[in-house]
Amino acid sequence: MMQQLTALLVQYGLVFVFANVFLEQAGAPVPAVPTLMVAGALAVGGGPSLAAIIGVAVLGSLLGDVIWYAAGRIYGMRVLQLLCRISISPDSCVRQTETRFVRWGPVSLVIAKFVPGFSTVAPPLAGALRIKCGRFLFYSALGAALWAGLAAVAGTLFYRQIDWLLGELGQMGVYALIVVGVALALFVAVKWYERRRFFKALRMARISVDDLYRLMQDGAAPVVVDVRSDSAREIDPRRVPGAIAVDLRNLDTALAQVPPDRDIIVYCT
Amino acid sequence: MLMDRGFARVRPLQGGLDAWSDAGYDIEGIEKTG
Repeated sequence: MMQQLTALLVQYGLVFVFANVFLEQAGAPVPAVPTLMVAGALAVGGGPSLAAIIGVAVLGSLLGDVIWYAAGRIYGMRVLQLLCRISISPDSCVRQTETRFVRWGPVSLVIAKFVPGFSTVAPPLAGALRIKCGRFLFYSALGAALWAGLAAVAGTLFYRQIDWLLGELGQMGVYALIVVGVALALFVAVKWYERRRFFKALRMARISVDDLYRLMQDGAAPVVVDVRSDSAREIDPRRVPGAIAVDLRNLDTALAQVPPDRDIIVYCT
Repeated sequence: MLMDRGFARVRPLQGGLDAWSDAGYDIEGIEKTG
């Protein structure tokens, strides 16, 4: 069975690499690094070359990135909000993504490939911020090549260990698939539980727009704080009447005059 | 972060700015500086 598995991987490895990388970049929880490492290991034994592996990985990555970039261009920040809603990473990812992008610029597209979660939200943010298509493609391709190259090269360096592991998994047969499936399901379940716990806490604390309006009409005068990034405010230059725009890096300065016993209502989208 | 600075009653606005706008409440434009 091991020989059959290896033969399949050698024959269809490039297709598998392309599909895995594309799905991961599109947002699916299917890590591509293990696939790239196995492909790299197989390259030592006569499988597809490193150049071919990296080439198809870059293509798969760019395809996923371009789709999200286009979505960001067309729909703006709403795409990021959707991604963060369906993401299995704990929230505030829109805010963190914007902060990184503002700090590093388009180079963040290179770094994004190495940061879990960031790699999926960086392309639509690039689109929403109107980063030029050529620059976007260049930095995305560069990041993909570095990321895929490192993983594939690691596979060539550790090909003996990967060979042994594949042998062990081959002997386990269908049980190997079960083990991998269970591990993946556990990973997703833990992330989902963390997310539900976060949103449960958020639901207990949040205030509806109608309740805020009533507070304002009753003269309760809560302090409304807009914690969006500068770039988000530039894209959507509106605010709740009276809201204070706050840079989270300068919180102490921005809210110095606000008594700590006041109601603070925050929005970041 | 706000609670770490001593603000005891911090509440996120459900639905954010879009929900406020969709509910038909007044919206202000942000003045550009610089």
